[in-house]
Amino acid sequence: MDRLRVLGFSVFEPTVNMALDEAIAEAVGSAKSPPTLRFYGWSPSAVSIGYFQEIHEEVDLEFCHSNGIEVVRRITGGGAVIHTKGELTYSFTVCDKDPAVPQDIQGSYMRICAPIVSALRGLGADAVFAPINDIEVGGKKISGNAQTRRFGAVLQHGTILIDLERGMLRALKVKREKLQDRGADSVGNRLITLKEILGRDLRPGELSSAIVKEFRKHFKCKVEYGKASPIELCRVPAIAERHKSIDWLFRR
Amino acid sequence: MEKVSQRKVKGGKFVKVKVSSEGGYITDAKITGDFFAHPEDAFEQVEKELKGMPVDRVRGTVESALGGIVLVGLSKEDLIEMIEECLE
Repeated sequence: MDRLRVLGFSVFEPTVNMALDEAIAEAVGSAKSPPTLRFYGWSPSAVSIGYFQEIHEEVDLEFCHSNGIEVVRRITGGGAVIHTKGELTYSFTVCDKDPAVPQDIQGSYMRICAPIVSALRGLGADAVFAPINDIEVGGKKISGNAQTRRFGAVLQHGTILIDLERGMLRALKVKREKLQDRGADSVGNRLITLKEILGRDLRPGELSSAIVKEFRKHFKCKVEYGKASPIELCRVPAIAERHKSIDWLFRR
Repeated sequence: MEKVSQRKVKGGKFVKVKVSSEGGYITDAKITGDFFAHPEDAFEQVEKELKGMPVDRVRGTVESALGGIVLVGLSKEDLIEMIEECLE
């Protein structure tokens, strides 16, 4: 990976966010686009659930409906995530043959999370990578990450909590087994935000610039701020349509 | 008869297995959770292949359907154990 295209922070509808990540992965996997790091937000707020999750087990659909929260199913595995104001989402996509990212899944999470950990540390948060796929500060989760390998690409997307509307957590039904294992008694206790750690607010752009700088260092690549290509953009409506379908959302 | 086995795999992820059986044959199987599998659609294949299998053929079916699949947060053994629990 000698150059990295960066798509700066933008806010989109939930299904468009899912479709853009997928369209970029298709283009990167077929060498029509360079390796890409994208930052985004969600409007309206949303819950994203993992590929294998049972929607009724994970999401309080009634709460979501009455609070204007949309629900999407990711093409990546992993757990349910709430995407509200104050949360920064990123996606990193690279060709699956690129030696910059290890073939081994656990190794590749560590590799791709490393610049994010460095950026958080640079801002003053004592962040560490927490296997399998989290970043933690003081034993509490600040970032969750999920990966898929398809279309000839490795796609990793993840969430970083700058701030959190804790009331929105009621949208997630979290299992007792999972919390006990982590030594927390509620999902809120298990999470920590940059705002809580640093005692100040942060713009998404401040965090994303710090992450871009660390990607450049860690991967020793040139960074070019760019835009989604016409090839990617023309795929978005069809993919977003699939993500909107009942068949996809309720498949499990 | 439908039975459910669910657990948080030690050092791994949450997995829930729901299996229905009748007269010694599996009639339905659903595997859900927050684990990872690459490629993901291998799990649709496992569920499809389990349907109609005699209950004593779980191991072979899972092992062949998941051959070459990378699992993260659970193992084939976990899965086989949980499916067999549903059939006890």
